[in-house]
Amino acid sequence: MLTYIFRRLLLMVPTLLGITVVVFVVMAAAPGGISALSLVEGQNLEPQAKKALEDYYNRLYGLDQPAPVQFARWLNNISPVGFAQDDTGGLTGWPMLKPPDLGISFRYGRPVMDLIGERLPITLLLNVLSIPLIYVVAIAVGVRAATQRGQAFDTQAGVVLLGLWSVPTMLAGVLMIGFLASDQFWQWFPTGGLSRRAALDMTFLPQAEVWWTLLALLALAFLFAAAFMVFAARAGRAPRMAAGLLLGAAGGYAMIQDLDALTSLTSLVVGGVFGALLGGLMARSEWLALRLLVFGGAGILSGVTAAGWLMPAPMIPGFLLDRIWHLVLPVICLSYGGLAFLAKLSRSAVLENLTSDYARTARAKGVNEHDVLWRHVFRNSLLPLITVSATLLPSLLAGSVIVEAIFSIEGMGKLAVEAVQTRDRELVLSITLISGLLTLVGYLLADLAYAIVDPRVSYD
Amino acid sequence: MTEAVHGQSWSQRILSEVLLRWGARLGIAWIGLLTLLAVFAPLLANTHPLLVQDAEGWHSPMLVYLGPADTTLLGIFFLALLLFLLPGRRLLRFLAWVSGAAVVGALSWTLVSPPSLVVYEQYREAEAAGEYQRVIRAPIPYSAKDYLRDYADTGLESPRASDERMHWFGTDENGADVLSRMVHATRIALSIGFIATGIALAIGVVLGGLMGYFSGIIDIIGMRLVEIFEAIPTLFLLLTFVAFFGRSLYLMMLIIGLTSWSGYARYVRAEFLRLRQQDFVQGAIASGLSLPSILFRHMLPNGMAPILVAASFGVASAILAEATLSFLGLGLVDDPSWGQMLNQAVQSSTFNWWMAAFPGGAIFLTVFAYNLIGEALRDAVDPHAQSGKAKIPAKGTA
Repeated sequence: MLTYIFRRLLLMVPTLLGITVVVFVVMAAAPGGISALSLVEGQNLEPQAKKALEDYYNRLYGLDQPAPVQFARWLNNISPVGFAQDDTGGLTGWPMLKPPDLGISFRYGRPVMDLIGERLPITLLLNVLSIPLIYVVAIAVGVRAATQRGQAFDTQAGVVLLGLWSVPTMLAGVLMIGFLASDQFWQWFPTGGLSRRAALDMTFLPQAEVWWTLLALLALAFLFAAAFMVFAARAGRAPRMAAGLLLGAAGGYAMIQDLDALTSLTSLVVGGVFGALLGGLMARSEWLALRLLVFGGAGILSGVTAAGWLMPAPMIPGFLLDRIWHLVLPVICLSYGGLAFLAKLSRSAVLENLTSDYARTARAKGVNEHDVLWRHVFRNSLLPLITVSATLLPSLLAGSVIVEAIFSIEGMGKLAVEAVQTRDRELVLSITLISGLLTLVGYLLADLAYAIVDPRVSYD
Repeated sequence: MTEAVHGQSWSQRILSEVLLRWGARLGIAWIGLLTLLAVFAPLLANTHPLLVQDAEGWHSPMLVYLGPADTTLLGIFFLALLLFLLPGRRLLRFLAWVSGAAVVGALSWTLVSPPSLVVYEQYREAEAAGEYQRVIRAPIPYSAKDYLRDYADTGLESPRASDERMHWFGTDENGADVLSRMVHATRIALSIGFIATGIALAIGVVLGGLMGYFSGIIDIIGMRLVEIFEAIPTLFLLLTFVAFFGRSLYLMMLIIGLTSWSGYARYVRAEFLRLRQQDFVQGAIASGLSLPSILFRHMLPNGMAPILVAASFGVASAILAEATLSFLGLGLVDDPSWGQMLNQAVQSSTFNWWMAAFPGGAIFLTVFAYNLIGEALRDAVDPHAQSGKAKIPAKGTA
């Protein structure tokens, strides 16, 4: 196994080299290309100062040299073993060990390493939050669709998932901002960024002036949620539907009332009726997980609302809550596409295994259907889901470009767009290198996980 | 009638099976509607009146201002209609259509030269002055680039906000009619999908075919190339290309094609690796056929099915890629595009819902249509569609 990992790591080097060559060739072959002239252009400077600045850029980045030399120079900079460079740009001392240096950004004038060090954690945070969400929901939907093959849920889920998969991220993000964040409709979420300016001065956890208010809030939310969920799990269909209708109507009414511009009687009634229909439909569902989710969510909301009425003093939300509040929309936006794809994939994987011989054998032995599904079939259906996790990361990284642009989050995606727009060569190459590396590591991790989960797979 | 005697060929069976599914039917219907909109855009949305009767008698400003792109599309469309109705061998008619399309295109781009100066206001002014006895206007009487400069401030009006003008889908930030721009943008959406996927298919089929057929060292080198292109985030490469090479529709098609061939190469390679061991290929090699003949006449038709499925999804992602580039501000500058209109939905902290709902909805429906067709194709090609080694096509990329 270790030799395999080592070989794969070694194989990454030529691939990464190839990736950077492709991107470098694109930049070098472009009309105009990158020259010191294009960097000083537009700045209103004396001719001498312009010349001096040009010389400075040429010396710093080697822009007056032929393209292959420039690339070799960049390679020398990033490799841990290489030539040392003196002030005039000459090369001495081979071989020497040195820390790899990604260079200095043209535009920001700062080391690229620092820039990426600031931006990468933000993008990774978005992705790390999205991946578990994607897997949990996708598996829940996929397994249910497969066990109910050909029934209403399966066909409806099939169409809805394909539709979800077809919604462009831009459209979803714009609609979310427009309806849930702008002041024209419900201003529930922030329009962009990762935290409010004020939140940076707050403590990490929420704080309240009167100490027990926080406990009371938590207790109320928990109590309401627990009560609602027990009701959703235990009650028969008729009382459930009645409760769902009532809750939905109240929610719809509250939502319309929140909209200052539209509070005529008809719109309130329409909101109430629509909410009631939705709530009733959710409560009617035979799918326990969905009911628990809906009723639990409604319970938490009503608990928090009740606590808000009873609270004697306002509380400070704190940094953590503020960050979560800012992350809700971007994470949803980033995950729904992969979720739809993965749910379809897990449906077909579970379906394949449900009809296989070993599942029939288990049933013939008298294993109950629940154990057949979760102990036998589900474990084997995980294999394609693990394989696909390798390509999940790159697609999420690509998604971050759009999501970060929409929600103005200062992450790698936004940095990438800025870098190519300003022709910042060092930054473009470094971002290519880093995202290529992440992608390849993702492939490797998926292959290793595959070997761990499936004993038949061995790389030795 | 000969088909009925010999029974249906495999591709015909696939086709009829695809057409049985309602999803594919809806998808094809939507694409067909878009095609009609794209071809007849100048007749549907145009500031130049279709027909005018004034002191000089009847004349048609619409025909005068018809550009070479318009005439090419119209010519190709009617040629296709004509050949569809004519009897004859399908391949022959197809070849006739392709060569006819080339001739129409060449003639249009050399002969058709509309006046370069366009004054959209003249018709409205002339009508207000009572110079026209009768005017027949297009259903949407605004061109895509008619910024309504004769009216005061027309930027970002919500649908049907103005009393004197009728904009069913509102106006964009420059004051142009959104519905008209959307009708004209169908051309970009459709052509980018087809041409970009065509380029990617061509590269992928040739490279993948060679890799699969020869295997060995060519395969190893080719697969490294495929891996390199798969490990570069496609969207990022696309951004780099467009940012450095400038904004042109044809370049964008080429670039989306150049960056999305790796998936097809993988599919074709896998198919060819499977096929090269089979008897009919060995027979073709033994009888001394030339390499192109073996690859493209014998192997490719038998390995085409999974590639078509991938291509159908590929068209969807090419459309998404163009929309994404336009959305990020790297698309075409003045020409209408759905993504660029969607970009105007949230600007300066106001939410212009009509700029999100209509162009965004059009992108969604088109992508959905192609995905529906792709899924129906996959189900028809492989009833036990398994995605054991599936790859998530990066969203918003090709």
